[in-house]
Amino acid sequence: MAAGPAPLGGHPRAQKPHLSKMERVVVSMQDPDQGVKMQSQRLLITVIPHAVTGNDVVEWLIQKYCIAEDEALHLGTLLVQHGYLYPLRDPRRLLLQPDETPYRFQTPYFWMSTLWPAAELDYAIYLAKKNIRKQGALVDHEKAHYDQLHRKINHTWDLVVMQAREQLRAAKQRRKGDRLVIACQEQTYWLVNRPPPGVPSVLEQGPERGSCTARQVQMTKTVDFYKREIECCRKALGRTRVKSSVCLEAYLKFSSQRGPHDPLLSGCLPSNPWVTDDDTYWAMNAPSVAVPTKLRVEQWAFSFRELLEDPVGRAHFMDFLQTEFSAENLSFWEACEELRHGGQAQVPALVDAVYQQFLAPGAARWVNIDSRTMERTLEGLGRPHRHVLDDAQLHIYMLMKKDSYPRFLKSDLYKDLLAEAVVPLETKRRVFPFMWKPRHSSPSLALLPTSTSGEPEAAAGSPGGGDGET
Amino acid sequence: MAKEECKALLDALNKATACYHHLVLTIGGSADSQNLREELQKTRQKAQELAVAIRARLTPPLRDRGLGAEERAEFERLWVAFSGCLELLEADMRRALALGTEFPLHAPRRPLVRTGVEGGASGVAARALSARSLRHEGERDFDVEDLHQLEREILKVGEMIQDMEMKVNVPRWTVQARQTAGAELLSSASAGVSSVGGVSVQQRMGPCDLSKALAATIFSAVLLAAVALAVCVAKLS
Repeated sequence: MAAGPAPLGGHPRAQKPHLSKMERVVVSMQDPDQGVKMQSQRLLITVIPHAVTGNDVVEWLIQKYCIAEDEALHLGTLLVQHGYLYPLRDPRRLLLQPDETPYRFQTPYFWMSTLWPAAELDYAIYLAKKNIRKQGALVDHEKAHYDQLHRKINHTWDLVVMQAREQLRAAKQRRKGDRLVIACQEQTYWLVNRPPPGVPSVLEQGPERGSCTARQVQMTKTVDFYKREIECCRKALGRTRVKSSVCLEAYLKFSSQRGPHDPLLSGCLPSNPWVTDDDTYWAMNAPSVAVPTKLRVEQWAFSFRELLEDPVGRAHFMDFLQTEFSAENLSFWEACEELRHGGQAQVPALVDAVYQQFLAPGAARWVNIDSRTMERTLEGLGRPHRHVLDDAQLHIYMLMKKDSYPRFLKSDLYKDLLAEAVVPLETKRRVFPFMWKPRHSSPSLALLPTSTSGEPEAAAGSPGGGDGET
Repeated sequence: MAKEECKALLDALNKATACYHHLVLTIGGSADSQNLREELQKTRQKAQELAVAIRARLTPPLRDRGLGAEERAEFERLWVAFSGCLELLEADMRRALALGTEFPLHAPRRPLVRTGVEGGASGVAARALSARSLRHEGERDFDVEDLHQLEREILKVGEMIQDMEMKVNVPRWTVQARQTAGAELLSSASAGVSSVGGVSVQQRMGPCDLSKALAATIFSAVLLAAVALAVCVAKLS
């Protein structure tokens, strides 16, 4: 294939695990003693061996893996859809039929592989060959692809035509049976890799997970190879690992804590704006609003970061600190944030201002930083850059988090805020007389499997109700 | 003329690459055998020789600043086709290495995939080498040795491609291909004209298809018998 794994820089792709597993299944089917039974296919005068019936495949899968017939059928269909087996009579219908329909195995070169994705140049050559063989009568989508490729890789079109002609001539040197088989193989490969419109592509993968890297095949193990292996193992040893029990506990805690706050899982009050076209929800949860909602105030208790990230929360925290006469901490922290995220041109001036206001001995709003951090910061002030106050900022942050934040949560100020916080009312839905359950304005997705009978009515009810409301 | 020579060599390389591709298709399948691995080796070595020769011919004109615009465009076209061909060859060689390692012939850890392709491909290899037929002379552990050598050759070809990119600066996208869409439908007579110069015999003389010859002899025998019978009937009556 034209574009192999990119070895010059960039990670080589790894073979997807499900494809490796399918390859192993196919190879174990080839065992002369315990593999699938093979027959010969008889076309007018040529006899081509190595045909299997769908029935044999299913039976072999049932016997080898001790699974039920449905599962064997599904597994067999997966094999056909990924191109490891192809039907002989109707090559475009890629599914496994558990009867006497004959199939044949695909050659390893054409096995689907993420290491060797199908390249545009190869597809162009294939289409050119097909064009020659069929005297220009290509299927619609193939014609469209052909024109598109001609525009895209116009500069190599000479090569495409030359290769197409030569490959056809090379194929003529084989016996007729072999020629037919190879043509079928190539056709199947391109049916799988460039499916006709309307057929779902098995190639679609989710977002790339770059964690598994594969190396190229190495026959001679040189010194470099072993050096790389040692480096790899050393890095693997040094990685921090967290026990899955700890991870899962943290995950459960997070989910249970945040569950009621999530608008998708627990619905949003007063109503989901996307469903009812009523944007009260957004207005009530705007970044700076006079009276925050109760859920929002509760969220401030989850972590210090939540409190600081919410402008309303930060403002109330500042009020609290003023009652405690330690507001300069938060002001210093905000000034450092401004330095970090501000413009490059203002950096020296800002650093100077911060120093004068917060760090100089005898400053108006002096912050309490330990001596070592103060020394380091003062040294760095000679050459100011935007991260010069990072250590000091972190120190103050931890101070606030450990000291002021717990007091804030226990304070009367916070309790008053909780009491004053607004809980919006759910918009009343008109209850139709023949429905015996009032609809929640934003049906919770988590309830979908259990209330399947209620779902279609909910879907029908809410747009209808929404139109009635507005 | 240098251009005609280059064109002829490029056609030969193209042929060798196409044949190599065709042979690599069957690795790991039921047609895989020691003979196939030998044929692969011979084909790719021939292809590499041709590549080195073409490169030697094409590099000087392209590095010559004083070349006319049309000449230069022609050489650039050849260069783009050549580098494309070489990349195809390299990719196929890598694939051959991967497949050859996965499906070793001796000490078989895995049985070969029964693909239904049987019968030799010596005709294909002979076509690539522009020879009449091919002799097979490998020893027993040929495929293991061959894989080591293949690895070395892949590195060499990779280096050659790198070197080519460094030495000659041809922006691919500016090259206008001569063939239009659907050019391959024009009869292969036009292709034959361009490749006839300098390249040796393309067709094999003997009948490729034995069954056709058999059918022809049977038919002629039946025809003769029918004629003889008709003559006898005419004589008797």
